Amino acid sequence: MSLPFRGRVREGVLLVSMVHVPVTGTKLPPIALSTNCPSCGVGLVPEELREQAYVCDCGHHFRMHGDAWIALLADEGSWRERWADVRPHDLLDWKVPKPYQQTIDQARQEGLNEAVRTGTATLAGRPVWLGVFDFRFVGGTLSIVAGERLARGFEQAAASHTPYVLVTASGGARMQEGVLALMQLAKVNAALGRLHAARVPYFSVLTDPTFGGVSASLALLGDVNLAEPGAAIGFTGARVIKQATYADLPPGFQSAEFQLECGQVDLVVPRVELRERLARLLDLYTG
Amino acid sequence: MPANFWSRTLGLSWEFGTMRPRERDTLSVWQVVELARHPDRPYSLDYIKRMAPDFVELHGDRISHDDPALVAGLGTWHGRTTVFFGHQKGRTLAERVRRNWGMMHPEGYRKALRIARQAVKFGFPIVSLVDTPGAFPGAAAEERGIAAAIAGAIMEWFETPVPIVAAVIGEGGSGGALGMAVADRVLMLENSTYSVASPEAAASIVWRDNARKVEAADQLQLTSRDLLAMGVVEEVVPEPEGGAHVDYEGTAVALENALWRHLQPLLTMPVDELLQHRYERFRYIDSLIAAHPDFGPKVEPKV
Ligand SMILES: [Zn+2]
Repeated sequence: MSLPFRGRVREGVLLVSMVHVPVTGTKLPPIALSTNCPSCGVGLVPEELREQAYVCDCGHHFRMHGDAWIALLADEGSWRERWADVRPHDLLDWKVPKPYQQTIDQARQEGLNEAVRTGTATLAGRPVWLGVFDFRFVGGTLSIVAGERLARGFEQAAASHTPYVLVTASGGARMQEGVLALMQLAKVNAALGRLHAARVPYFSVLTDPTFGGVSASLALLGDVNLAEPGAAIGFTGARVIKQATYADLPPGFQSAEFQLECGQVDLVVPRVELRERLARLLDLYTG
Repeated sequence: MPANFWSRTLGLSWEFGTMRPRERDTLSVWQVVELARHPDRPYSLDYIKRMAPDFVELHGDRISHDDPALVAGLGTWHGRTTVFFGHQKGRTLAERVRRNWGMMHPEGYRKALRIARQAVKFGFPIVSLVDTPGAFPGAAAEERGIAAAIAGAIMEWFETPVPIVAAVIGEGGSGGALGMAVADRVLMLENSTYSVASPEAAASIVWRDNARKVEAADQLQLTSRDLLAMGVVEEVVPEPEGGAHVDYEGTAVALENALWRHLQPLLTMPVDELLQHRYERFRYIDSLIAAHPDFGPKVEPKV
């Protein structure tokens, strides 16, 4: 599957690129799926869905996780993960509802490595820094390790003038790390400020769901904010808003389309067009 | 208490040893939470009007609204014009409703940044008093971009080249508090709290039952003593016996003295150094924890 790439004007000359940007960099890994699409109810064939980047024919975008996002965005063989050896541990002696250390160990046994993974890659031949959230690891929550990987990545991207592409999926700051998790909002935004000051392009791809401390720090500060169709994006979750204010929320509240209307995101981009769109933006911002 | 990043790098001394232990040790965490939320507790304006009797409040974000949950303005403090910010909860029910219990909307953060840019223009230092359950969890705040407003504020404080000192005087609730607490020095009143989530929200997340807030408060480590131990705040300002509401004047004097002691050295610091220190303060705020061997290599080779 590939989409035609557009030409562009440089110094008055229309350069028509014959390069096609494939929908994915590598074949996507298998992911756990329900048997039916939650939007249209059609029975799902996992292998077919995998070929269409986990987007149902009806347009429903299934949640992808860290490894799938890396496979989608990074060209084959280009991904160089950084700081994978930086590991979380329980610092508050958190016991409820289960010990945090147990949560960490269990996730690690499942082959997950924190809520954020970061590294360098090429995207359709263009060098980038990549940061991807993984919602499976404690709800993609921003933790000390996640914040450290992001901050180091921003600093190095600023130093090497390499554009940064972020993919978010998070419930917010990680409660089990207490106020130090809250401090990560300031830590990553400090580093992100340096990236902006170095005039390095930063593109934020918001996927389902992006909330709390992540939307209130790095997720909405992209030079371009892109969102996946139907993704839930906001600060406070709808359940808490209803509890706190007894408000009736309109259908589609906090959807990507709602946030486009509210001026919070620049583009709502279907997953199959994302790579082509990012490649185009990378060219425009570095041209 | 182990030496922390700031004591190592700036030679700041930890002030907790001067606190009288008697009352603190007999209070439960939940009692501290209740003191922090006490309806008679002094609010930002009580301190600001004592510190700068000529205080003039300014209003509006110049886009659409004024946010009464955040007081902002100028006053003379130690002979110099100073910008003051403070969450204001409201004393009477009518005022509480008007001020939305100190829960800010996006306009509040935009107002703060507007006046912070004035502080930069005229070279005024900034004092920010934090006392909020959190940013407003409502549909209108969402529609007007509360997340981006907080995010933008947090980032812009790092690029605001004037000294900023902040103090948590009551509740430091989550991102809504942090949005007003990115500063060169952050202090806490003894019986204030600062946390990633309110005990109610944490209980609701952990047990889906916010009645278990007392257990959640115990777990969150949100007291001034906890935060000082974690190296998140520079100093804890002692309160009078019984809490700040027992003696407004005494608490105000203690807070003012501490704020001034921290602001003074910042006033003569070169701007580049000031911003670099502010950057490092937050960039390495978890260094105590991150020094743990499991955390991985600390020094990174240059790319
Ligand atoms: Zn479907």
